[in-house]
Amino acid sequence: MEKDSTLRKIIHNILYIVIFILIWQAVVSIFHIKEFVLPSPFQVLGRLFIPAQAKQYHWILHISATLSVVLSAFVVSIILGILLAILICWSKLFSDIIMPIIVLFNSLPKIAFTPLFLIWFGYGYLPNLFIAFLVAFFPIVLNTCTGLMAVDDDLLDLVNYLGASKRQLFLKIRIPNSLPYIFAGIKISVTMCVMGTIVGEFVAAEKGLGYLLRDAQAFIDMPTMFCCLILLSVIGLSLFSLVKFLEKKCMPWNNKEVIND
Amino acid sequence: MTKKSTLNRFKIIWNYISKAIKNNYRPVLVIFGFFLIWELVVRIFNISELVLPSPTCALDHLFNAQPDANYNWGVHIGVTVKEFILGFLFTALFGIFIAIIVVWSKTLEHVLMPAFVFINSLPIIALAPIILLWLGYGLKTNILIAFLCGFFPVVINTIAGLESVEDDLLDLVNYLGASKFQLFTKIRIPNALPYIFSGLKICTTMSVVGAIVGEFIASDRGLGYIIINSQYTMDTPPIFSALIVISVAGGGMYMIVSFIEHLMMPWMLLTEKK
Repeated sequence: MEKDSTLRKIIHNILYIVIFILIWQAVVSIFHIKEFVLPSPFQVLGRLFIPAQAKQYHWILHISATLSVVLSAFVVSIILGILLAILICWSKLFSDIIMPIIVLFNSLPKIAFTPLFLIWFGYGYLPNLFIAFLVAFFPIVLNTCTGLMAVDDDLLDLVNYLGASKRQLFLKIRIPNSLPYIFAGIKISVTMCVMGTIVGEFVAAEKGLGYLLRDAQAFIDMPTMFCCLILLSVIGLSLFSLVKFLEKKCMPWNNKEVIND
Repeated sequence: MTKKSTLNRFKIIWNYISKAIKNNYRPVLVIFGFFLIWELVVRIFNISELVLPSPTCALDHLFNAQPDANYNWGVHIGVTVKEFILGFLFTALFGIFIAIIVVWSKTLEHVLMPAFVFINSLPIIALAPIILLWLGYGLKTNILIAFLCGFFPVVINTIAGLESVEDDLLDLVNYLGASKFQLFTKIRIPNALPYIFSGLKICTTMSVVGAIVGEFIASDRGLGYIIINSQYTMDTPPIFSALIVISVAGGGMYMIVSFIEHLMMPWMLLTEKK
C-alpha cells in the first residue's frame, strides 16, 4: 500500500509537469509571444538537448562548477553545524558566549556579504563556497540546538538517576531526539545553499549556472536563462528529495514533520 | 471599560519590554563584546582598512563625508528601505490573503498546496535576472524580487497554521452550527497566528535579501549598489557601513514583527513564563 501511494504521487507530479509545459507552450503559440519575452518550452529544451546548440554553452562545465560548490558547502555546513551545536549544548559557558552571536548572524541577511568575500578570497571556487556555507550553516546550528535541548525532563531525570555519563546522555538521548529537528534544519539549508551559490556566481565567477544566467541576460538570451533556471531547480529539488529520503531512512519511526521558525 | 482595556494593553506592552530587557541583557553584552574585540584587533594588529575596517571606521564612513568615495547615504538607504518594506508588506498581505482563500476551498488546496511546497524548495533568487529583463531597471523590479523571496514561506506557514486545528474543536463548532466565516474568524485564524508570525519572521530576512540581490544585479541606487560599487573600487569601509545599515533595517523589522506578535497574542507571553 505504501508503494502504491508513492507511485501515485510520482504519476501526479509527472502529470503536473506535463500539464504545466503544455499550458506554457499553448500560451506562447496562441499569443505569439516573442522569444526574448517568453521562450517556448521546446526552444528552452533545445538549448540543452540539440547538440549543435548545446555545444556553445558548455553545460557540463557550468553544471559541475555549480554542483561542486553546492555539494561541498552543504556537506561542510552540515558537519560543522551539528558539531558546533553539540558543543554549544555540552557546555553552558560556551553557549552563553557563542549563542547570542549565532542568533545575531542568523538574523542578518548574509547574502549581502557576498562582495566582501570576493575582496577577501578573490574570484573562483572559494568565495562561493564560503557564501553558500555561511547561508546554510546557521539554520542547522539553531535547529540542532533546539532539538538537543527539547528532551523530556522525565527522561533526563531517569538517566541521571541511572547514573548515565554526559557522553551517554548525548549519544543515547539527546542526539537521537534531535534528529527530526536536524533534518528540518537541513531542509532549510538545502534551498539556502543553492541560493547562496547562485548569488555568489551572480556577483563574481567565470563559470557556473549563475554566471551563465547573468551572461545570457547581457545578450537577452531568454531560452538559455530559462535553461539555467530549470537546471538550478533540478539541482535544488534533487538535493531536497535526497534529504527527505535520508530522513525516512534515518528515522523510520518518525512520520510527523517539525514546524520551525 | 475602555479605560481598563487600555490599561491592560499598557500592562501587556510593559510586560513585553521588561521581559525583553531581562532576557536579553546578557546576549547584548556578548554582542557588544564581540564588536569591542573586533575594534581592538584591528587597532592592535594595525590591519589595513582595505582588508578589515574597524566598526568605528565603518560608522565614520556612514556619518562623515569622505574625500575619496562620497555616497549620498540618505538617498541610498531610502531606496533600499522602501523596496524592503514595500516587498515585505505586499508579501504579508498577499501571502496571508491567498493562504486563507486556498484553505477556504478544499479543491484549491489540493491543487495549489503541492505546487507551493514545490516552488518553495526552488531557488527563487535565480528568477532575478529574468524579472530584470521583463520589468527593466528600477524600484518595481527589486520590490517584485523581494516579494517573491518572502512570499512562499508566508503562504505555506499560514496554510499549515489554518489547517492545524484540533479535530474536536472543529466537530464542536460544526455541531453548534457555526458558519464557514465564523469558523475562520473565530477558530482557524486565531489558531494560525503563531504560524503566520513565524512565517513573517522568515520573510523579513528574505525580503532584505531579495531587495539587496536585486540591487546587486542592476540598479543605480540603493545599498546593494553601494556594496557592488565599492567592491569594484576595492573600497571596503563603505561595504561594512552598508552592511551595518542593512542589518539594522532587517533586525528592526524583525523586532517590530515580534513586538506585534506579542501584542496580538498576549497569551503566548503567559505560556512562555511557565
